[in-house]
Amino acid sequence: MTDAQKDWRRDENDEDDEAEQELDEASLKAQKDAILLAIEVSPSMLEPPPVSSSRKADRDSPVQAALKCARHLMEQRIISNPKDMMGILLFGTEKTKFRDDNGRSGLGYPNCYLFMDLDIPAAEDVKALKALTEDEDEDEVLKPATTDTVSMSNVLFCANQIFTTKAANFGSRRLFIVTDNDDPHASDKAAMSAAAVRAKDLYDLGITIDLFPIATGDSKFDLSKFYDDIVYRDPNAEANRTEVRASKSGDGLSLLNSLISNINSKQTPKRALFHLPLEIAPGLKITVKGYNIVHRQMPARTCYIWLEGEKAQIATGETTRVAEDSARTVEKQEIKKAYKFGGEYVYFTPEEQKKLRDFGAPTIRIIGFKKRSMIPVWASVKKSTFIFPSEEDYIGSTRVFSALWQKLLKDDKIGLAWCVLRSNAQPMFAALIPSREQSEDDAGTPYLPAGLWLYPLPTADDLRDINIERKLDCSEDLKTKMRVIVQQLNLPKGIYNPLKYPNPALQWHYKILQTLALEEEMPEEPEDLTQPKNKAISKRAGGYLEEWSETLKDEADRATRARSLKREIEDDAPERPAKQRKVAGERPSGSNLSMAQLRDAIESGSISKMTVAQLKDVAGARGLSTSGKKADLLERIEQWVEENS
Amino acid sequence: MADKEATVFIIDLGASMAAVNGGREESDLDWSMSYVWDKISNVVASNRKTLCVGVVGFRTDETNHTLSEDGYENISILQPLGPMSMSGLKALQPKVKPSRTVEGDAISAIVIAVDMIDKYTKKNKWKRQIVLITDGQGEIDPDDIGDIARKMRDSNIELTVLGVDFDAPDYGFKEEDKPSVKKQNEETLKKLVDGCGDDSRLASMVEAIDDLNEPRAKSVKPYKTYEGLLILGDPKNAPAVVEIRVERYFKTHLARPPAASTVVVKEEQAGQSQADEDEPMDGAELTAVRQARTYKVNDPDAPGGKRDVEFESLAKGYEYGRTAVHISESDQNVTKLATEKSFKIIGFVQKEKYEMLLNLGETCVTVASKYDEKSELAFSSLVWALSELDAYAVARLVTKDQKDPMLVLLMPYMEPDYVCLYDVPLPFAEDIRTYQFPPLDRVVTVSGQTLTNHRLLPSDELNQAMSDYVDAMDISNYGIDEDGKPAEYATIDELYNPAIHRIGHAIKQRAIHPEKPVPEIPPVLLRFAAPPTELVETVQPHIDALIHAADVKKVPPKAKGKRQRETVKPISGLDVDALLGEEQKGSISPENAIPDFKRALNSSEEVEQIADATKQMGAIVRSLITDSFGDSKYAQAMEGIGAMREELINLEEPGLYNDFVRDLKKSLLSGALGGDRRDFWFKMRWAKLGLVDKKQSEVSSVTLEEAGEFYKSR
Repeated sequence: MTDAQKDWRRDENDEDDEAEQELDEASLKAQKDAILLAIEVSPSMLEPPPVSSSRKADRDSPVQAALKCARHLMEQRIISNPKDMMGILLFGTEKTKFRDDNGRSGLGYPNCYLFMDLDIPAAEDVKALKALTEDEDEDEVLKPATTDTVSMSNVLFCANQIFTTKAANFGSRRLFIVTDNDDPHASDKAAMSAAAVRAKDLYDLGITIDLFPIATGDSKFDLSKFYDDIVYRDPNAEANRTEVRASKSGDGLSLLNSLISNINSKQTPKRALFHLPLEIAPGLKITVKGYNIVHRQMPARTCYIWLEGEKAQIATGETTRVAEDSARTVEKQEIKKAYKFGGEYVYFTPEEQKKLRDFGAPTIRIIGFKKRSMIPVWASVKKSTFIFPSEEDYIGSTRVFSALWQKLLKDDKIGLAWCVLRSNAQPMFAALIPSREQSEDDAGTPYLPAGLWLYPLPTADDLRDINIERKLDCSEDLKTKMRVIVQQLNLPKGIYNPLKYPNPALQWHYKILQTLALEEEMPEEPEDLTQPKNKAISKRAGGYLEEWSETLKDEADRATRARSLKREIEDDAPERPAKQRKVAGERPSGSNLSMAQLRDAIESGSISKMTVAQLKDVAGARGLSTSGKKADLLERIEQWVEENS
Repeated sequence: MADKEATVFIIDLGASMAAVNGGREESDLDWSMSYVWDKISNVVASNRKTLCVGVVGFRTDETNHTLSEDGYENISILQPLGPMSMSGLKALQPKVKPSRTVEGDAISAIVIAVDMIDKYTKKNKWKRQIVLITDGQGEIDPDDIGDIARKMRDSNIELTVLGVDFDAPDYGFKEEDKPSVKKQNEETLKKLVDGCGDDSRLASMVEAIDDLNEPRAKSVKPYKTYEGLLILGDPKNAPAVVEIRVERYFKTHLARPPAASTVVVKEEQAGQSQADEDEPMDGAELTAVRQARTYKVNDPDAPGGKRDVEFESLAKGYEYGRTAVHISESDQNVTKLATEKSFKIIGFVQKEKYEMLLNLGETCVTVASKYDEKSELAFSSLVWALSELDAYAVARLVTKDQKDPMLVLLMPYMEPDYVCLYDVPLPFAEDIRTYQFPPLDRVVTVSGQTLTNHRLLPSDELNQAMSDYVDAMDISNYGIDEDGKPAEYATIDELYNPAIHRIGHAIKQRAIHPEKPVPEIPPVLLRFAAPPTELVETVQPHIDALIHAADVKKVPPKAKGKRQRETVKPISGLDVDALLGEEQKGSISPENAIPDFKRALNSSEEVEQIADATKQMGAIVRSLITDSFGDSKYAQAMEGIGAMREELINLEEPGLYNDFVRDLKKSLLSGALGGDRRDFWFKMRWAKLGLVDKKQSEVSSVTLEEAGEFYKSR
């Protein structure tokens, strides 16, 4: 039951997601991503770092780090991109392997070892990779070739074949090269040219090459020696260049972490959500692209599995539509959309439906600027979308966008915009908010890019009424004591860094699935970094907490007495009607009983005269469980009163 | 539960109501009824038994009611008081039409309406209302108004009088050359309303109709999202902790436009109503559509490689990568993190270091529980401390046992009646994609130099122009508040979700007038779709200066498609094509088909060479399809076809592609490519890989119709 309900909720959300699908430049292609990780295996790549006594010292050779990073990437992608493919190609190996099922196995691509063919990863792949990273290299896969040079053109053509056959027609195909060799063909002009030609083939196939250079020691990875002939500018990328970062160990960062952070930034292909005009002023349009940078990651939903065959198989569902009145199957073209109104349907033709949703061509139109402080803190409904300029439709977009970004940052202003993000999408009001450069010291978001964000604003329709009255104010003394506690318990740097908090439910879900798939032993305790660090809290603020509690107790006692006194006066006042109502009511609804009344009721024993329903109200209103018999309820309430008064 | 409401509309149907006045295009009756229909359709839409309406007409040709005394002629009950349905609405509509009479007294009609309400609501708790609509042209007997007013007060009935073209000095409306009868009637009715109590009022019809256009947000009852303790510290082990009993409610919750249901024409009517498509569809002919699911698994022995399986034979599970993980019934929740309902603060952050663009969703509000002095005081100290320190708290929240934990940001806020913490959900590590973007304020060249002067960066002039423009277009103070003082423009209270109100408005209109076309978007919904016109006029010099300094040029549409002709080079600028020997350029190998094809086209100078490359590529595609086991090589073939289509459009040779694709379709459907390949043709149709039409390439000889027909015909 609960599951069905959940699925139904998901379906509702899916309609949004569907509309939000990231757009691909060529829509005829499958919206899938394939990554082939090519890792060089060479003596220098296999060399472990110098021995160090430091506990934090690096222990991984570059190849080890690359493989661990690959495993991390694979596990992440199973969660974040469950339909996308990944493969691992080792090059420079003594052994050679292409596909088992291929007649030309190994003949074509010497020193290329296809450790894991391009495919959606399976649990066994994770296991195999794990074994390899844990030094269980039984097959001596990680043994470098004895020849001096490995032909890069061969490696690139091998990758070409893997992509063409396994990931044909994919919207995004990426070759990640991890190497420490910036000049593989230093003395061989012909080999260099051959590699350049093969690289062009990859470009023509729409395969992008992302280079993850590894720098060791003080040496610099010089792109101009070889890789500038191999790597192309992404035609869909921004006009300005993003630098290629070399991974290295040092500055307290291990090679592995440095590599993970570099590869992580490419974990999902950078696809734009939309590509739209931004109307900064009447008559001034530029082009921007939108990106999904914050997005709630959910576990994949359950599927149905058929167990009666030789191997467990996922059953694919097909939906047929049937008419409710006659149960006959309905063809797609018969289906119409209508609105329920007063128990009947109100119908619009498809053209009319379209007209209803039409609020003009997609655009982001600034209607004015405001102080940032004018956006109330509670004005939040949905995640924001990052926007960044593109020169595709309007030349000069980047500089105008930059001017706007700088101005908004400098004066702490925001733009107010009317947005229609896709044709026929609901219009939305958004604040255009600038984010700072990551490198700036006082930036609170070192993990976010600099640019503008479309921050969706609630409308009057999204506001809920709140009718609450609580007028009790504490003393200055208590405020001061609390202030000390707050000051003691700042998170590191006083910022919230989401990267430090993996989603415990999501991680546990996949951890268990992995365990089940590999038939391993169940983990006992989930790792949950979102739990408060109670020991640290006690250590840093324990004493202050005690002081605060003392003061609170005194003040609370006084307030309780004052309140009940006031109530007694009110009760004795000659205002008959109020009194009468109370008598006539005879049943003070349980949730309305004050603490003092409740205590009186317990002391006088009158509480046992209350009905179960009333007791449940009393318990429920205080967050206690409402299950069990009357005696249970009584006991629970009495205990609560004892603890809380 | 919402209050029970009983409303009786009294409508003046006198002959004079048929007149068209005040420069309007419809009769006074139709104009006034747009108000009444709107109100009644709200009742219909609510589908609530406790929202009741009745309609009484006066100055009607007939007399039809239950009071058999004199003086009540020419009054008819058109709709007895009760809940209203769609069919009730339809039945009522034809009854509301102007009569041929001038006889009939508004005050008597009120007496009848009061009687209807008294009988229906008895002594129970109801909200009672009478709305009188008149043009004030008939005789109104002023003698009994004191008694009537007393009676209305006694029965606790609210009276609203809406007069067609009545004077409304507050609203700035005055009718010229008002007949003396009407003048007198306006005064009489005013006196009546004044006697009926505070809630009663008299207004000019125009006020009510203007008010209809103003969107209304639906008010929703508060929803409690958490109730329990808010904790700082470890209650089990620490000697002292912060423990506050709190309640948490929604502050914002995304409202959605009404969703359309999927329906189909009822079977018995299917034949008939498809015959005349132009007839407006009546809702009653439609029935809902249900979804039925069937499941298939791969089976190499079955025809088509798939076979149906019974739903009962399936077990639940998840996908881990491409591995199916079966979860037995007994450990259904094994992948679920065990959690206990809790609300725990994990630490504090500085306000100025938090960016609201991290907010991942709707806001809730947390306050201390009622009747718990200790919690109220503790909560107050927390909110005050945060506020004084400009700090926020980060907390882990589990709203119910077994619910997934989330992290929320708690922000202090002082309201007039209470202090509270607003909270928004925060992203986890998995929710952030760390894409890299180039910097916006500098350019780093290939050689590693950093430039601050570049065509991608704003000049000082542009920066200044932008700054002036942004300052001039500041709307922080452009609005006007209730007292006529400058105030914030476009506040959240003034923003309405255009889609919700657009669709709601259209549904109502369609329900009342099924024959009318879909109305235009009410202008009030577009109030904030563009910058305020008057402001733009004053700011125009700044805009001109900005446009000049920006010097933005639109890319001509042609240039976008033709980019392929210039040779693409790697970052170093190496001319890769020049590295190849001449002889290699024309032949296309099956292993490296697409790059070879592109290279062949690039080096071609004659049309024959292009035709030759197309032929070679076509042959490779055909053999991929022929050799495909099932659909194993379809994707490769599709990619090849896609490349051919794109390249040949770019080279302005759509004819070559069209010849190829015509031929391919024939072969696919005739079974010449290794058996039944209709499934491949469906894929091509889906991917729109058919004929290149004139719109896609100017030099194509294929019309849009031909291209469309190509997809349809078999």
